[in-house]
Formats: sequence, C-alpha cells, structure tokens
Amino acid sequence: MPEIFIDGHRYEFEGEHKVLQFIQDLGKEVPFFCYHPSMTAPANCRQCMVKAGQYMKSRETGEYEVDENGDRVIRWFPKLQTSCNLMAADGMVILTQETDEQVKRAQKDNLELILINHPLDCPICDQAGECPLQIQTYKYGPEGSRFEVKKVHKPKRIQLGPRVVLDAERCINCTRCTRFTQEISKTHQLTITSRGDKNYPTTAPGREFDDPYSLNTVDICPVGALTSADFRFKARVWEMNQTPSIDITNGKGTNIDLWTRDNLILRVTPRFNADVNDHWMPDAGREAYKIFNENRISRPQQKLDGEKVLSSWNNAIATLSEQIEDTDNTKILVIASPHASVEENYALNKYTNLLGLNTPVFTPHIEEGTGDGFLLSDDVAPNTNGCRLLGFKELNKSGICKEIQKAELVLILNDNLVDRSVITADQLKNKFVAVFATNNSETSEVADLVIPITTAAEHAASYVNVDGRIQRTYRAKETKYTNRRIDLEMSEGRLDRYGTNFDNWVTEDNKIDCMPMWEIVNNLADATGIDINFRGGREIMDEIASSVSNFSGVSFAAMDEHAGIQLSIKKETSTSK
Amino acid sequence: MSTVDWKNYTPVLLPDIKDLHKIDVYTKNGGYKALKSVLTDKKKWEGPKAVIEEVKKANIRGRGGAGFNAGLKWSFMPPADGGPRYLACNGDESEPGTFKDRKIFEYNPHVFIEGALIAAYAMEITTIYVYIRGEYKTYIDMMEKAISDAYDKGYIGKNILGSTFSVDFYVHSGAGAYICGEETSMLESLEGKRGYPRVKPPFPAQKGLWGRPTTINNIETLSHVTGVINNGADWFSSIGAPTHPGPVLYGISGHVNNPGVYELPSGVPILDLIEVAGGMRNGKILKAIIPGGSSTPVLRADQLDGITMDSDSLRTVGSMLGTAGMVVMDEDTDMVDVLWRIAHFYHHESCGQCTPCREGTGWLEKILLKIKNGDGEVRDLDLLLDLTTQMEGRTICALADAAAWPVRFTINRFRDEFEARCKKKSHAVA
Amino acid sequence: MAYEFTKEDLQEIETIKAKYPEVMPATLPALWVAQRRFGHVEPEVQRLVAETLGLPEAHVHGVANFYTQYYKEKKGKHVLDVCTCLSCQLCGGYDILHHLEEKLGIKAGETTEDGTFTLNQVECLGACGYAPMLQVTNDKYVNHLTKEKADELVEKLKNGDELEYEQIKMPQHKNI
Ligand SMILES: Cc1cc2nc3c(=O)[nH]c(=O)nc-3n(C[C@H](O)[C@H](O)[C@H](O)COP(=O)(O)O)c2cc1C
Ligand code: SF4
Ligand code: SF4
Ligand code: FES
Ligand code: FES
Repeated sequence: MPEIFIDGHRYEFEGEHKVLQFIQDLGKEVPFFCYHPSMTAPANCRQCMVKAGQYMKSRETGEYEVDENGDRVIRWFPKLQTSCNLMAADGMVILTQETDEQVKRAQKDNLELILINHPLDCPICDQAGECPLQIQTYKYGPEGSRFEVKKVHKPKRIQLGPRVVLDAERCINCTRCTRFTQEISKTHQLTITSRGDKNYPTTAPGREFDDPYSLNTVDICPVGALTSADFRFKARVWEMNQTPSIDITNGKGTNIDLWTRDNLILRVTPRFNADVNDHWMPDAGREAYKIFNENRISRPQQKLDGEKVLSSWNNAIATLSEQIEDTDNTKILVIASPHASVEENYALNKYTNLLGLNTPVFTPHIEEGTGDGFLLSDDVAPNTNGCRLLGFKELNKSGICKEIQKAELVLILNDNLVDRSVITADQLKNKFVAVFATNNSETSEVADLVIPITTAAEHAASYVNVDGRIQRTYRAKETKYTNRRIDLEMSEGRLDRYGTNFDNWVTEDNKIDCMPMWEIVNNLADATGIDINFRGGREIMDEIASSVSNFSGVSFAAMDEHAGIQLSIKKETSTSK
Repeated sequence: MSTVDWKNYTPVLLPDIKDLHKIDVYTKNGGYKALKSVLTDKKKWEGPKAVIEEVKKANIRGRGGAGFNAGLKWSFMPPADGGPRYLACNGDESEPGTFKDRKIFEYNPHVFIEGALIAAYAMEITTIYVYIRGEYKTYIDMMEKAISDAYDKGYIGKNILGSTFSVDFYVHSGAGAYICGEETSMLESLEGKRGYPRVKPPFPAQKGLWGRPTTINNIETLSHVTGVINNGADWFSSIGAPTHPGPVLYGISGHVNNPGVYELPSGVPILDLIEVAGGMRNGKILKAIIPGGSSTPVLRADQLDGITMDSDSLRTVGSMLGTAGMVVMDEDTDMVDVLWRIAHFYHHESCGQCTPCREGTGWLEKILLKIKNGDGEVRDLDLLLDLTTQMEGRTICALADAAAWPVRFTINRFRDEFEARCKKKSHAVA
Repeated sequence: MAYEFTKEDLQEIETIKAKYPEVMPATLPALWVAQRRFGHVEPEVQRLVAETLGLPEAHVHGVANFYTQYYKEKKGKHVLDVCTCLSCQLCGGYDILHHLEEKLGIKAGETTEDGTFTLNQVECLGACGYAPMLQVTNDKYVNHLTKEKADELVEKLKNGDELEYEQIKMPQHKNI
C-alpha cells in the first residue's frame, strides 16, 4: 500500500487524498482558510504551507535510495507547498509546523500579512470565538505588528441581501463565498470585484444576494466579513451551547446544530452529513429557531363554555381518558403526524392499539414547488416516511375529511391540519377535539383540549426523511421538567455550566411547561388502567426495532455511530424530488 | 569568453524591408515557405515530431521572460486524442521596459503568424489565440487584418496548402491588466474571467484552455520558429550567446539618446548596447540599468564590465535577461523614487488572489512612499528586506517574486542612497 | 436610460461567440463592443452584456471591475492616460502629468467640468522607448511628449481633429 511520512510518522493510504485533508483526518492540524472539502481548492490564502519532498526510489530495484549514512535520500520540492492542493503520493515526506521551523515561519509570515489590513475589531465582531483567523493567529501568528502605515479602507455594513451583511474590511479574500454561489448553490450571485488589495466580494450592482442558501456563506466565511442579519449581535458564541439536531421544517432531514443560550434557541447552523446535506442547509430551515421559542403552548388548555382556560396536567389527562372511555371505539379517530417523531407516533399508536381503537391515519404535508432538487423537498414534514413505516393509514385530504365526519372524538398529534387547509374548523364542530401540540395554531385554537408536547429541540427522537434515512435529535432546551445538570445527554454551554439559577442572565421563563408525548401516553395509560411505561426515546426506539420489522436494527447508538441509518422504503411512495 | 559578433548582424525577424506587413510583400520575400515546407515536404519533415525536435535543438529560449526552451515545452503536450488543443500566443507585453512584440505586430506580423502555424502543426493544435493587451488597439487591428489576409490566402483555415492540417486563428483583446501576461492568468482571461492565475499542477499542457492541452508562447518566441524552420536549428543556435542563442529584440529605454527596439544577437555587452542606443543622454554618466523589464534585478554601472545580455552572464552579477527590455538610468536618477514607482506598479497590478502578494505589494509600496517622503527610518529598510522574503516563493504566480526582487536588489545595491533618505533618528527595533 | 445593442452590435457579438467553444469567453470582447457603443460600461451596461450573453450579472460585473480599460463610470469625451511608469517616470512622465493637471485644472483621476477631458495616471503602456507618452481614450498613443506637444494635443482634441497614428521607425533601419 502507498505510504506517506508526516512529521516523521508513517501512514498508509489508499485512493486520492489532498495532503491537508489527510492530515486533518488523522486528527492533526495545519492552519488554513480558503480550503473547503466540498469545493474546489484555489490555494489562495497560502496559509496551509508545508515542506514536501519525496523519498527517492531506485528505478531498477524499486527500493528507496539511501545515502552513505544509510538515511533515505529525500528530494525536497524547491518551494514550500500549499497542502490543500498537494496530492498525497507514495513515498512523500511532509513536514508541518510541528517539526519544521521554515514552515512555522512561513505560516507566521502569512498571518502577519493577512492581519495588516484586517480591522482587528474582534471585541465587536460576531465571529469572535469561532473565528479561524482569531484562533490561528493565537496559535501560529506573530506576537506584535510591524505595520505602521495606513490600512486599506473598504465598504462596511453592506446589506448584501435580505439575510447577509458584509464588512469588506474583515474579508480575507478566500473566495469561499463566491465559490459557494458558483459551485454549490449555483446562483452565481457573488463575485469578487476590483483587484489586488481593493478586492472584496459583492453582488452585481443593484442586485440582492437572495440566494435561498445564502446563509451558508456566513457559516463558511473564515472571518466575520459575512454575518447573519438576523443573528447579528444577538449573542457571543461562547455564551451558547450547541446541540445536534435535525431540521424539522422539511422532509429532507438536513442535519443541524441548535445553538441555545438560557434555553432559547438563538440560531440554527448546518451539521455535516455526507449522505444528506453535506455541509449545507437552506436558509428557510434556519428560521425554525422561532418555532422552538415563540408562540409555544405552555401548560394544558381546556375549553370551558367556549373559553380557553389553563388546566392542570392531572385535569387534562383525566378529561381525555374520560372522553375516550365515554366514546364508542369506532367513533374515535386518531390522527398521527408526519410532523411528529417516530417515537411520538409509536407511543400514541401503542396506546390506541391497546385500547382497541382503529389504526391511526395521517396525511402527508406536501407543498408543491418547495422542492429545489437540492436540500428542499416538496414534502415539508420531517417524518412522512416514519408514519408509513409504522404502518399507519395514509389518507389524502378527502380521506381525512371523510374519517372526521364519522368521528365524535378526534385526537390530533402535532399537525396543524386546519392551518394547512386539510380540514376546516367547521368540520370539527360538535366533536370533541384533543390536540397534542407544540405551538399555538388555528388547529389548537379549535381544540377542546390542548396538551403541550415537546419540540424536536426538547426531546431525543427520530425522524425518517424523504429518502428513508432515520436520524435523531438531542435535547437542546430544558422544559419545566428537565434539567441539564442531571441529564447527561444534554450539552452545557459556559453559562449553563458556571451560572446558577440566581444569576440574572438565567431565567425560568424560557422553559416551556410541556412533556414528551410518551410521558403523556404513560399518564393516559395509567388513568385508563393500561400497562404502558415508556422511559424515553432511546428505549422506545429499542422497542420499535424489536417489534416493527421496518425498523429492525435501528437504535440511538447505531444512529449516532453512522449519522443516521438508511431504511428501505418503497421508492414510489417517497416524495423526494 | 568569446565575444558575440553583433556589429555585422543583419536583422532577420524585423528586416529592413518596406511594407513587409503586407502579405504579398512577405511572401515575395520568402514568406510562408517554412510553413509550406513542414506541411508538404514529407522527406524533410517526417511529421510533427520532427518539427518539435528541430525547434528543441535550436534552443529558442522563451522571450516572454522565463527563458524556457520552446521545443522542450512543446514536447510536454500529451499525445493528440482527437479533441481540441490550443496554442495561446502571449502578446500581453505589459512588463515595464518591454515594448518589442508590438514591433512584430506592426512590421512583420506574418513571421509571427507563420511561426505560430508551424507550432500548431507540430503540436497538432486545433485553434490558435493571440492574446494582445487591450491598449495595443492599433496593433490588434493590424493583427486582425494580417490574420484575415492569411485566411484569404489559405495559410489559415481548413486543409492548409492542400495538407490535412487545419487550424483556426483568432485575436483576443485584453482590457488592462498586467497580470494577464502570466500564462495561466491569460488562459483565465481568454475564458472570459477575472485574470486570476491558476495553481499548478495541473500545467497548461495537461489542462489549459477549457481543460484541454494548451501551450503558451511569447510572440517573439514563435516568430523565431519561422527562421529556425527556414534555416535550420544550427543556424539559429550559432547566433549570439551559445547557451541563450538567436536574435533578440532589445527594447532600450530611459536615459539614452536613441531609445527603441533593436534586433541584435543575444549576448551583446550591456555597455555596447547603450552605445547602440546612441549613448547616454546629455552626456550624463551611467548610474544603473535594469536589464530585462522592471522585475529583473537592477545593476549598478560598476557591475557591468564585460557583462553581456544573456542569462548566464547576467547571472554572474545577480540579474536576469527577462524580456531584454533594458532601462538605462543616469547619474541624476533617484533610486528611491524609481523603486517606489516599481513597487507602485506591482501593487496596482497584483490580482489580489494570494495573501502575500495582495497584502505584501501594498505594504512595500506604502513603506517606500514613506521613505520617499522623508519619513522613513533605517529600520524600515530592514523591514522591507524582510517582507521580500515573506512574499518570495510563497504565491500562486511569480508576480509576488517580481515585486520582491526589485525591492531587495535595489536596496542592497543602493543602500547608502536609501539610508541617506531615511530620518537620521532611528530607534532600535523593539 | 435603457441601453440597447444595435443589430450590428448583436451581429458582432455573434461573430465573437463563434470564436470560442463556450459563451463565457465572449465576456471581454462583448464588454468592448458595449464600451465602444455607449462610451462606458456602467452597471446598466454590464447588465445588458450579461443578458445578451446569458451569463450571470455578477460575473460580468467582476470581470468589468478587474480590467482597468473598461470605464465603470462615465468619463470625459477624451480620456488622457498619461504613463508615469518606470521609463516614462525617468523621462519626465510626471512633469507631463502635472502640466496637464494644471492646464486642464483637474487632478489625475478627475474629469473637467465641461466633460471634455478625463486625466489619468496609468501604468506602462508598452511604449517605454518613446517616453514620456500618453494614450487617448483607449486608442492612439502620443509619444515623445513635451509640454508643447501636450498643449497641441489638447487643442487638437478640443477642435475635434482626428489623431494620426504615430508610426515609429526602427532605429537601425532606413526603410521601416
Ligand atoms: C506576472 C507575469 C507577467 C508576465 N507577462 C508576460 C507578458 O506580458 N508577455 C509574455 O510573453 N510573457 C509574460 N510572462 C511570462 C509568461 O508567464 C510565460 O512564461 C510566457 O508567455 C511563455 O512564453 P515563452 O516561453 O515563449 O517565453 C509573465 C509572467 C508573469 C509571472
Ligand atoms: S467574505 Fe468571507 S468567505 Fe467571502 S471571500 Fe471574504 S473572507 Fe472569504
Ligand atoms: S502572486 Fe499576486 S498576481 Fe500572482 S496569483 Fe498571487 S496575488 Fe495574483
Ligand atoms: S488552504 Fe491552502 S492555500 Fe488556502
Ligand atoms: S513606462 Fe511608460 S510606456 Fe512603458
């Protein structure tokens, strides 16, 4: 097998590798800015310099040549090489900043040059704390500055488009943003303008950077030149904690991170998954943070004399179980939801099943024209395939309406059927409607009983995307009943770790009074005398895997290890575009 | 060292023939004979490879500045696969001090066209582009005319001179960017983009224009091919300096009485060349020269004894032949001003892709301006020298080197003058 | 004002496109066609070029702004590009520039109030042997400048006289 020697260590490799990527994959480091694994390598920042050479092999024997001391003969490249566009070759010798003074010096020199025209306004820059320039300067940069002449001035605070703001003085001209619009989103909306040290990225004059993927440029900009108009100045990154999750606003199942501070989700960023979304996500999905923070249902609500009032949990559970007991089984309609996780749907189904009710029905949430052939599908629900794989009855709009007509008691799991015009409020009149929902909506408005459940940000549960991949979320945000200090799976940010409930930047207000669906099912079962005792998403998934063949082999551990698991789905039912 | 007999030389590239730019006059004077020979004389030329061998043997060292053997470069082209292959002729001519290729466009365009066609035949090229800097509008028009005449006469187009060889030939105008003279920047510009030089590898011979095999040669380099085919490699390599042979178009500018372009053999002694150009203006004393365009290291007058215009000789005193565009400076020349102006040029022309060049060229200029204005300190000189090491060899193309060298060598060779311009007080570097 | 290409322009652009295997290479020549037609390539014109070629506007904008000869804003009727680079600097290019600044009452980079002249300081134009020199509106070179010759030039241009091409002989030769 071909071999490469990096800082004196020998590694074998197969296939084609860029040296920089290879070093990173080993868990080692070479500083860099312009390289991005999903785009072409222009090698323009010149930061990733290494010393490269080749052990000489004899043509006849194929053996390495040795000198009089028995050391292998190395032919060094005459110049330092940028490792981002250097291909690994058999017998290659690489020295990084760890072992070579010349490399160290070159990297330091380069940082000095990058910094001379940089504003150095980290204290007021959004990128600070997650800025490659800041980090690498700290690790590899010069101590002081020898620059005593005037800096170049460029436009600042330019609203490039509805969502992205540019500070051209901070730009280091890595061209990641322009390459993104050329190679990934293909809108070609950005270009570098001017020449030399006057260069900066821009749109065509009078045009907006309204690329539906524009915010990815903010993520990949290695400095604070591109910032999010929405997130700008909202929080310092070190105040937030970061939790992996899945985008629930579309069926594509883009992998994301949720960034929270004091139990508010402040931003959503894409998380790498080679099989789903690579490094990217649509701008649309980033708005989702609002779903988790705003307009939430907190505490159960009940209609009394046509008036919504807050109710206790005990009362809500009792009311619902009484309704179920008092209604003829055939008159109870259970509507499962492509907007709810596999576990939530399963829990509800198990309960209704044991009660002897009809199999839940569901209706996909398709919005024609949303799909773009990239990271958006027409299916805007995160778990349509999950409902299918659980064996629920798939109905179209008129099918649902027919079923509702027949029913006296309707249970709706988190699906805003009225809002999305599957049914009308009128059709629900004279029926007892109970919804398990995360946010207030027209649908919850007409319900007689509203039971607040957790969002994807508050529970660990799984979703099957349009391509049949099952992936899961983690708890990012506390509810009234959870506590990140004792929940080992919840991540802690600096404020979470070092703050106490008595610090003025921590409030209880952001914790919603809601429960995971399965705990509600536990309580309902208890009230009805059925034996159900779900412990959590992880255990429910184990149970599903052993009882529903479509899910065999699935577990949280397996999903975590493989960044999701591909299930087999019937392609024709897939709404992937 | 044998001296080159330049006094009895008669120009061949730009001979003293009236109206030679007209295709009829050119053919009357033996024009397009070389092309006809390679295309039709199968006894003499067994095929394209034979032409490459002859050109390689002639050792035409690239006249665009780097001095690479043209035939050797041609041999790097991969075997033809039926797809398009390109020859890009470099007529960007923007290095300060260089103004020779325009003379070919003006006075003998067909010697270049013929050379390019032979090159195309040798490398099995399908399309030739000649990239001419946009400022040369007049010469662009002249070239368009010459190419169109050659099409009309059947020297360009389908089945040239009844052979199986076909090629197209187009002019592409630049629009004001020195960097587009760098070969891969030129390819980007030809492709209609910002002239950002490409990272190598892949080299143009592998992936050039539109990802296809491409060779880039300077206009003068290609023009010499015609003579090599007509008169043989030995004829060419016997002219001038043995390791850097052939006629050279010397562009001489600055403080001489008769500046202009002179065609002479390579290896003319520098001091003689100044005499050829009429000697020093106003009877002044020579102070320094820049031998081959602004990026080549400056030489003090006292370094010039016995030094000739070829790469080997110039290397002995720490300079290069470059484009053979020699800039002559007299005793009144202010080297600080000159160096600042050169630094300004490279700062203005950096494409801005790579950090060391984008940032470094500006920093160099700003420090030099400070010194020029009398605000410099001696430590600034050392900072300048240090910066040159931070730029050199660290970038995608050689513009950063071209910007660094003049700074390093001018300061080193005229240090007293620079120090005298710096403020007397000078704190030690912290 | 909405800019439009004439039929001849469009025909010329088609001829240009035929020289290349793709459309993008036509960007530079098409910008030239536009600049000759409209006298500049302001953003509106860049947009017209992009539309005509079916290329992204940002691309055309980036290209137009990379190359100095394209006028990204309206210029005077005559643009005087005075070379002050190395050889011209040595031979008095700055004297010519400053003389013209005084004569026209503007600084380099500015346009006279009546819109007749724009004065620029530019990099080497490849006429180093004929320094100092200048180029008029991306076209004719005026070589071996003296203050008197510069004055004459200004008058000529004001009068609307055509400039002659200044042929420069080979110093070694009699016939050319
Ligand atoms: C910054 C830069 C500018 C250059 N400008 C020119 C030029 O104007 N004309 C030219 O022929 N070569 C120029 N070159 C050299 C070309 O890159 C290339 O080496 C040359 O065209 C090859 O032709 P040759 O081998 O025939 O000399 C330049 C190189 C650099 C690095
Ligand atoms: S704005 Fe950011 S991503 Fe774009 S070129 Fe500048 S530094 Fe790179
Ligand atoms: S060295 Fe300078 S001119 Fe060359 S590619 Fe880099 S930035 Fe551009
Ligand atoms: S990461 Fe290699 S040059 Fe930028
Ligand atoms: S320096 Fe002025 S034309 Fe070259």
